[in-house]
Amino acid sequence: MKKIRLLFPLLLLSGCSNITVLNPKSTTGKDQAFLIWLGFGIMFLVLAVVFFLLVKIIITYRYKKEREHDPTHYLNDKQKRHLQLAWTIIPIILLVILAIPALWISYHQSPVAEAESRHEGVHIHVSAKQFQWTFTYDTDKTEENLLILPEGESIILHLSTEDVIHSFWVPELAGKVDLIPNKPIVYEIKEPEKGVYKGKCAEYCGIQHANMTFTVKVVSKEEYENYINN
Amino acid sequence: MHIPLFGKTIFLTIDLVIAWSLLIILLSTAIIYVVRKHKYPVIWEYIRTTNHRKIGTLYMIFGFLFFLRAGLDALLIRMQLALPNNNFMVYQLEKYNETFTSHGTMMIFFAAMPLLLGLMNIAVPLQIGARDLAFPFLNALSLWLFVAGGVMFGSAFFLDSSPAVGWTGYAPYSTVQYTPGAATNFYVFGIQIAGFGTLLTALNMIVTIIRNRAPGMKLMRMPLFPWAALITSFLILIAFTVLAIALYLLMFDRLFGTTFFSGEDGDPVYWQHLFWFFGHPEVYILALPAFGLFSDIISTFSRKKVFGYPAMVVSLLMIGVLGFMVWVHHMFTVGLGPIINTFFAVTTMVIAIPTGLKVFNWLFTMRGGKIVFTVPMLFAIGFIPSFVMGGVTGVMLSLTAADFQFHDTHFVVAHFHYVILASTILGIFAGLYYWYPKITGFKLNETLGKWHFWLFLAGYHMTFLPMHITGLQGMPRRVYTYGSDEGITALNFTSTVGAFLMGISIIVFIINIVRTTRHAQPAGNDPWNGRTLEWSVASPSPEDSFTPMPLVERTDAYWYAKKHNENMKVAENPRHAPIAKDTLLPFLMALAIFVTGFGLIYQSYWIAAISGATIFVLFIVRSFNDERESVYGRGDVK
Repeated sequence: MKKIRLLFPLLLLSGCSNITVLNPKSTTGKDQAFLIWLGFGIMFLVLAVVFFLLVKIIITYRYKKEREHDPTHYLNDKQKRHLQLAWTIIPIILLVILAIPALWISYHQSPVAEAESRHEGVHIHVSAKQFQWTFTYDTDKTEENLLILPEGESIILHLSTEDVIHSFWVPELAGKVDLIPNKPIVYEIKEPEKGVYKGKCAEYCGIQHANMTFTVKVVSKEEYENYINN
Repeated sequence: MHIPLFGKTIFLTIDLVIAWSLLIILLSTAIIYVVRKHKYPVIWEYIRTTNHRKIGTLYMIFGFLFFLRAGLDALLIRMQLALPNNNFMVYQLEKYNETFTSHGTMMIFFAAMPLLLGLMNIAVPLQIGARDLAFPFLNALSLWLFVAGGVMFGSAFFLDSSPAVGWTGYAPYSTVQYTPGAATNFYVFGIQIAGFGTLLTALNMIVTIIRNRAPGMKLMRMPLFPWAALITSFLILIAFTVLAIALYLLMFDRLFGTTFFSGEDGDPVYWQHLFWFFGHPEVYILALPAFGLFSDIISTFSRKKVFGYPAMVVSLLMIGVLGFMVWVHHMFTVGLGPIINTFFAVTTMVIAIPTGLKVFNWLFTMRGGKIVFTVPMLFAIGFIPSFVMGGVTGVMLSLTAADFQFHDTHFVVAHFHYVILASTILGIFAGLYYWYPKITGFKLNETLGKWHFWLFLAGYHMTFLPMHITGLQGMPRRVYTYGSDEGITALNFTSTVGAFLMGISIIVFIINIVRTTRHAQPAGNDPWNGRTLEWSVASPSPEDSFTPMPLVERTDAYWYAKKHNENMKVAENPRHAPIAKDTLLPFLMALAIFVTGFGLIYQSYWIAAISGATIFVLFIVRSFNDERESVYGRGDVK
């Protein structure tokens, strides 16, 4: 995927370069942003064709008095068949172009149930309850509503909830993953970059849902080691 | 505000005080109006009616009332979100959660659904040459069940126990452990009761369309709106059954201590599967009738037959079938695993193909025609680009890894509002303007209609286009506030202004209806130079429509007859009309079910048992009454 991502700066030229999700600070997030751009690009093409045809048709064929007695233009059956085949087959081609990278990335990024995960990396347990986050590290250090991550590592999150469903989301780093009762889930965030980010609960979970936020600090590996051993 | 009542003081928040005052004023005005103008016979007639047009009209009236209520909720939501860290009246925290729950639930179940069912009721029999729906009694029962469910859900707010679980009612939050009390019960029973009505209508539609078409009206000669109604009805039949089961299980969890959706044995993800197995087809249940309607409108006002009619039918069918194979795309973040996610990503993309085909066929229906810009046609033309904008974000959402970012943000809010407003709401308005002459005999004012259209379209794009960006900027859905440092203030403010533009357009629409009722001239049978059978009967459509019964020999038979200056041939020995006889029973049955529901909501089982028994008594009364006897005589009892 790295080669395709070289196209990324080109796409960025089209503006919107300060939108959070499109300016990700991790490899995982960059793959996702690439997919968003790719989808947007191809879909914009479709949209442009429809807009162009619509405007052209309603201007050309609008009712005018002098056209009252003009004959109606019908296409013959063969033309009709060819046209309909065209707008069945062209979308299929566009979708295939879209589907190959999308399925490739998605297959590798989809969160899995705990039993199926075999990833190497920094393991952190995320536990949620109404309306608070608890993060537990390898050294049994725990902290509430503050998550410290080492830069450049693979972060393996083990997510579980004590009550209702929540969803873990740090827009700058990666997409979200749900926390389901009695079913621990594993999600991987690759190579986060240094910085301070805001995390949120993204699944409606009750009265204080909007305020169920946390802070993420991505620090150097030494700082991280110091932190979890303290 | 503290209000003394029977020696006690009750505490009411300010919004409830205003709502109660408004309700009392409106109800007393209505009562005074009825008493002054001696309107009881009309009310008595409509409570007992089983005629399809009258029932359709009632569907439209009640649906529109709920639409106003849910629209008001939307404006309150937008007021609260207009500025960062805003405190608009009481609409923070729980009140805000209640408001978005009411908005979503009412718009889907009590506004969009009944308005579409109303249009189907009015137009489908007239378009296929049926004199009524196959089961008029059942039709009345469906209507009153919907009204019962809607009033029940709507009353929750006035009793200060609005549900706050979101329109999706995700377990385990919706189980009794996290939301005890009556509020969530209103969600369960309100939707359940209205859902039964919807199911019965679907059965009625299927039988009517299969069995009661005019002689010669083969399936492949039907206009596309009845086709869409037929396929939609099959979707309802399957999807609403699953919803009924889901709500039934949730009811048991809440009232009787089972643990289907929580605890060690249960699983909250079951709820999501059941809900979305209903929920995704529901989107097509809302969209397909609009597709059919727009096909007919575009063809009428381009004065040209539909481009690629067989492909249009096949694509409706394909969308219907595929609609049942995509539900997991609402659950990509649940952790079902990469293989399941991949499968559902592919099926979701595939739906784009038949949908895209329809869009291009609509465009090519217009191409070569003579496009007349009447109000219904404007709505149809506005629909195409708006709907495609919602459709392309749908494809973007199917890219699973990208969806991890989009999911549950305002990007999704933008997507589904784009799709549903473009198809369903624009469709309902188009249908109303189009068939208003068939409903009332008058044509709505075109100038006001154009104001309504342009204001609504501008407001719609202004509200929802910015939400794509606020979502990508990191704004989750269902949050009542955001920080001023998040860079989404201007966008949110724009959305709020847009929402109020839509609000104004609805006021223009109401003015249009009032003015038309007062001043309009009769529209005549065929005000739009129509192509299909409904324009061959009188306006408003009479109760004994299609006498004599026309013989249909081709698609757009009425148009063909007009073109060739001939009368439509008359069919010999047409099928007997369904017998519609006024009866109070459906209303009483729904009333009994309404009371039973209330009993269960507040867990007063005695009330529930007594009114439940009443329902069965009414069933027995019904089974000894056959309205067909007076026409056919008693059947052979052997």
